Formats: sequence, structure tokens, C-alpha cells
Amino acid sequence: MSAFSLGGPGPGCSVSRVRRLLAGELPDVERGRLEEHLGGCERCQATRRELEEERRAVESALPFPAFASGVAERLAAPGPDRRAGSPAALRRFAPLALAASLALAVALPLVLRMSQHGEPEGTRLKGGGAAITVFVADAAGARALANGEAVPENARLRVSLAPAGRRQMAVALLDRDGPTLLYAGPASASPLPEAFEWTGASQGTILAVLADAPLDVGALLARLARGGAGAAAPPGQAAEVVTFSLTRRSRP
Amino acid sequence: MARFAVITGGRAEARSPSPSPALAEVGLLEGLYLRHAGAVFGRCRWLLRDEEAAKDATQEVFARALRALPEFREAASPSTWLVRIATHHCLNELRSGRARWKEEAVRLAELRRDDGIAPERRELVRVLIARADEEEQEVAIMYYVDELTQAEIAAATGKSLPTVRKRLRGFLAAARAALAEAFPDLALPEGDDL
Repeated sequence: MSAFSLGGPGPGCSVSRVRRLLAGELPDVERGRLEEHLGGCERCQATRRELEEERRAVESALPFPAFASGVAERLAAPGPDRRAGSPAALRRFAPLALAASLALAVALPLVLRMSQHGEPEGTRLKGGGAAITVFVADAAGARALANGEAVPENARLRVSLAPAGRRQMAVALLDRDGPTLLYAGPASASPLPEAFEWTGASQGTILAVLADAPLDVGALLARLARGGAGAAAPPGQAAEVVTFSLTRRSRP
Repeated sequence: MARFAVITGGRAEARSPSPSPALAEVGLLEGLYLRHAGAVFGRCRWLLRDEEAAKDATQEVFARALRALPEFREAASPSTWLVRIATHHCLNELRSGRARWKEEAVRLAELRRDDGIAPERRELVRVLIARADEEEQEVAIMYYVDELTQAEIAAATGKSLPTVRKRLRGFLAAARAALAEAFPDLALPEGDDL
């Protein structure tokens, strides 16, 4: 007869703690301690790989537009377990349902185009899996902006990144007036803290440089000013560059 | 310099004539998706063993989180809170087909006997959980799969530490009985007690 162990938390090892680390939930001291432990613990390294694989699996099986649309549908649908407070929740998230539907409407043609012609130029480059989503909000509501789609006048834009495991990122806006830094610091799988209104004319590019080591922001802006978006990648440093094109409909 | 104007906090100022909350709501959901959807989907896929059912369950879990947003925001660990909701939802789904779930230990044992395929640890935990009582199942998953300590489980569930320990002992007894029945050559180590 052989012994079988059910597992359970070990000394310093815990699936939930690694999960919290990846979700950015751990306070600084605990994060430092766990990262040090991870460096020498094969069991926790395997856990991290497994959790990263789960994230890739959901991004493949249930991309955000389909996910958001499904969540919005569930929020809007009456059900047997809805509490009396639900109408307030529905009112609160009614814009989400609309925005998610619009996001899906934007995403679907994009997916179809990708299936016919391969990956569209500009949304995702260099194969690392990082991606930019740009949300636009104006008087008509909020939705995901398609890459290259004209930006409405007076609309607010908010950039959201999927950093695909990279630790650091810099996000810049580049148009004919030059580059402006939107964010530099730890890479986070969430929308940037600030929204902005793009007041430029003609064309612009939002670009994100993602790397594992901190990026030299001054050098990045200098390269962008000199060589445009094509010069974003830092020389001699492993990095991924993702871009998103903005256009402005010409004024009559 | 590129021409743009920052809107602090990602929202229009209060004096703006037409602030739209929709952008913030989509941003909130996308943030939750990017941080937690993998873990929730992973839990649902592991328990339900069906990708389509796992996708439905994942969306249901996030819809529940949005309905209970104040409670979710107050949770000490959002990921633990969400994974717990996912576990609870999937256990309910499985219980509706309880007989089939309980038979999986036997099928796994047959597979092992016929093809010599050893059960993977978490798969075996999954089928053993089917044999435990309802109150023991969630605690067993938190301890053996999420690897929360007994004190962390007590804090997350609001149960007392002795109750958590009692539930785990109940699960272990059920697991030993199930192993004796379906996997007579496997046994939990003698010291594997609580």
C-alpha cells in the first residue's frame, strides 16, 4: 500500500498567497518575503506557472469583450435569486451592459478581420501577448475604441494594458506635436489611473513599452521625438512594444 | 509635445455637464477580469470539468461580485473572495448531479486499473471531495487546493477555528473511506491528521 498526500499549506508555501501576489494584493513586506521565497521554491514556482497558464487560458477561451457582454447580460436578466436591491444594481450597471455590447460590436468585426487577413497591424506587435485597449467615453456613452477608429471630439480616452507578465511599462502618446508620457512604472493589468482628452489633429499613436526592468523614460521620449513610434524599443533591453492608432476625422 | 488634457482620476470633474459613469464601470470590470478571471476560470474548469460550463460559471461569479460590490471591496483579499464564490457556485452545480460526481472516484479507479494511469493529486482530491458532506467540501478545497491555513479559512468563512478543524477531520474520514473503497492500495499517511 502506498501513501498518498492530499497536500495543504506548507511552510511558506500557499497557492492562495501566490495568487494574491499575482493579483497585486500583497502588502510590500509580505510581497518581498514571498518573492524571495519563490526564488528558491520549486513548488511555488510551479504554482505561479499554473496560475499564469490559467490566465492565458481564460484570455483565449473567454476574451474580455465576450466576458463583459456575458456579465452584462447576467446583470440585466431577472433571476430567481435576485434580491430586492437588484434594481439599483441594474441601474448602476446599465451603462456597463450597453458599453459591453458596444465593445462586442467593435470586437466582432475585428475578430472576423483577423480570421480573414491575419492580425491587424498595430494592435499587437512582436508576439509577446501584451495588448492595449482604449476606452472612449463621450455624450453617447462608453465603449472600446477600435484601433485606427476616429476619436470623437471632446471624448475622454482611457488606456488599459494587459502586460502579459512584464513587470515595468511606459505608456506614451505621440502625435505630430511630439511625444507625451502618460505613465511610467510597475506594469499593472488594469486601466491607467488618468483619463485624458486628446486635442491633437490628424493622427496619433498610443504606445506602450513593456519590459522586466525599469525603463529609461527620458531616453524613450528622446527616441520617439527623433524616430517616431518605430524607435520605441529600448536598444539592448528585452522589451515588447504595443501600439494603438488614433485618428481625428477632418473638420469640415 | 502631443496635445492632450488629463482628467484626474479617470473621471470627469463634478462640474462637467455630462459625466458618464460607463467608462469607469467598464474599466472596473476589465481590471477585475485582468486580475482575477484566470483564477476564477481555473477553479470553475477544475471543478466542473467542462470548458463551456466554466465560462458560464466565470461570468456568473463576476456578475455576483458586481451585485455585491460593497462587500467585495471590503474583502481583505479580493482574489480569495472571488475564488470562494466560484467554488461555492460550482459545488452547487455539481451537487445537482451528485450521483454522477460521486461515481467519478470509481471511474478514476477503473481508468487506473485498466490503463495504469495514476490519478493526479488534485484530480483525486476533487473526486474525494464528492464523498464529503456539503459543509466539509468548501473547507477542504480552501485547505487542500487553495492552501489557506486553518486560521485563514476561519477568517475568510467566519467559522471558528475548532469548526474548521472539525470540518477538515470530517472530510479526511470521508476521504479515507472513499480511498479504501475505490483505491485500496492508496492510503493517507498516518500522520496526515489535523
